Amino acid sequence: MTGADGFTLLLLLLWGALAGIDLVSVPQAMFSRPLVAGTVAGALLGDVGAGLRVGAVLELFALDVLPVGAVRYPDYGAAAVGAAAIAAGSPWELGLGVAVGIGLLLSAVGGWSLLALRRLNADAVGRHAAALRSGEPSVIRRLHLASIARDVVRSLLLAGLALGVAGVTLRWVRLDRGTAAALTIAAVGAAAASALGGAARGAGTGSRRRWLAAGGAVGTVLGVLVWGLL
Amino acid sequence: MNGAGRAFLRLLSVQGSWNYERMQGIGMGFAAEPLLDDLRTTEPGRYPEAVVRSAEFFNANPYLAGLALGASARAEYDAVPGEQIVRLRAALAGPLGALGDSLFWAGILPALSGLALAALALGAGWWVVALFVLAFNAVRLATASWALSTGLASGMRVGGALGASKLPRAATRSGAAAAFAVGVGTPMAAAWLLHPFGARGVASAVLIAGAGLGLARWSGARFTATRFGLLALGITLLLRLVTA
Amino acid sequence: MPFVLSRVDDRLIHGQVVIGWGRPLGVQRILLIDDDVAANDWEQDLYRMAVPEGVTIEFAGTAAAAARLGAWQADARRSMLLTGSVPSLVRLYAADPVALHRINLGGLHHRPGRTERLPYLYLTPDEYHSLVELELLGADITAQDVPSAVPVGLGALA
Repeated sequence: MTGADGFTLLLLLLWGALAGIDLVSVPQAMFSRPLVAGTVAGALLGDVGAGLRVGAVLELFALDVLPVGAVRYPDYGAAAVGAAAIAAGSPWELGLGVAVGIGLLLSAVGGWSLLALRRLNADAVGRHAAALRSGEPSVIRRLHLASIARDVVRSLLLAGLALGVAGVTLRWVRLDRGTAAALTIAAVGAAAASALGGAARGAGTGSRRRWLAAGGAVGTVLGVLVWGLL
Repeated sequence: MNGAGRAFLRLLSVQGSWNYERMQGIGMGFAAEPLLDDLRTTEPGRYPEAVVRSAEFFNANPYLAGLALGASARAEYDAVPGEQIVRLRAALAGPLGALGDSLFWAGILPALSGLALAALALGAGWWVVALFVLAFNAVRLATASWALSTGLASGMRVGGALGASKLPRAATRSGAAAAFAVGVGTPMAAAWLLHPFGARGVASAVLIAGAGLGLARWSGARFTATRFGLLALGITLLLRLVTA
Repeated sequence: MPFVLSRVDDRLIHGQVVIGWGRPLGVQRILLIDDDVAANDWEQDLYRMAVPEGVTIEFAGTAAAAARLGAWQADARRSMLLTGSVPSLVRLYAADPVALHRINLGGLHHRPGRTERLPYLYLTPDEYHSLVELELLGADITAQDVPSAVPVGLGALA
């Protein structure tokens, strides 16, 4: 991101914000998935490869969480954009670990901002309780659109924060090659544990657990093949 | 009744005003507005209370919410007593949540995600990510459109239509597909990402992954992925600093 | 066997219940206790669709359920007890304090008279006091919507 021009930064900010709005508000089309958000951010920065890899690792982390019902969850969209901005333009082997670490922190901030947004929305509903009993659809419409506007502001702030943190990281964090590589390895290991742990929990007992084990066996064999082919 | 098209578009934002007090209620009311428009002229006495009902507490899977939206709108036109519509909405919410969450969040989404990761490891490019988005949204839009039109056509008989559909079965099967795909995709993605670091890199990563799975087992589900990831990175950094 | 989870949740069966708790706990049977649902065939049909293959569901009103707690526990299947209201819970606890020793408050939502205790838990003063009384009788009550959340004790909900 160090050499990115103003226009690219603006596009990144808008993409990060769109990923944020997509998570819960609209259109819920999976732009907020880290694999998608990270890849597009990498492409905008001219380094799709780094974006893909950062997105893939964060995607493995995201597989731990099922956004079931009303549960709180991290917001990986803007986080993946920030993480991709850190990794883009330098050898990904060295940038990935730091990028993922910052991405995880940003995703937690994003999850917290979502809680705050939901409270603000509830307050607005509470304030308009009497008007909602009037049966006038314009009250509903205004409340709804105002809530979406709130999420637009939240998502823009979050995307701005992500890019700011990415800039600070690129400017100030200097690691030797060995440490950078060790962090990348740790990030991949932890990500794999998250995906498998989440899958095991989600599978529960019974036939789904056997499907997971079968998949793991097939994946390990194919993984060894991939290793040999690369 | 007109307005199904506009209601469908508005449903894409059904969670746009998600809050702990009414959850998706306001979003449902927003999507119901075009559907209830004709009621304003045909049943002006009923219209305001129908609007109030449309925005009450509701929560279901967002992609299936249209089934409840359509069914309640149809019931308003069928002059079903208000309290029955309230009960219909309440009774639909939980099952539509359980079915939709199983189908999408615990089924199709992780299944496609696992497949995309596997494809990336096999050397596929960014187009896999585009395919992931397209495939998910194709299923999602088809399901959401079926849900709204089925709800609109069935009214109070929506339960029967839901039971006769492929949905309950698909919800069960997609869970197995998700478990398999994540099982395949995870080790493949790890192999792809660890390749530059050789056998020692793989050994370290496997060690960390094993520790993570053990920790998750020991601490119950409370040790979230984010926390474990940050812990693993933090310890690695510390070890490097100490041994340097 | 004893119930693997006794839960109060006014949304009854939904994603958190089926996926969040049902899968990791290996739940094989859900006992849904609600007077309205027990009296309504088409609502029961809807809830039957909500549970995955391999999980059975039984419906009962509160009074009938209180009489069947013993028989339900004699069954070898892993069962989750689910009720939508605090008064129903109080009645069930009185019938068998051992069976309902551990109680999970999973979700009670906004309604006039209730105030927010947690984002997913709104209680009237009466409901809160009923729960405190159950705790004085020996019940172990925590609020927790999903397994990955931190359980919250009654004291923090005042």
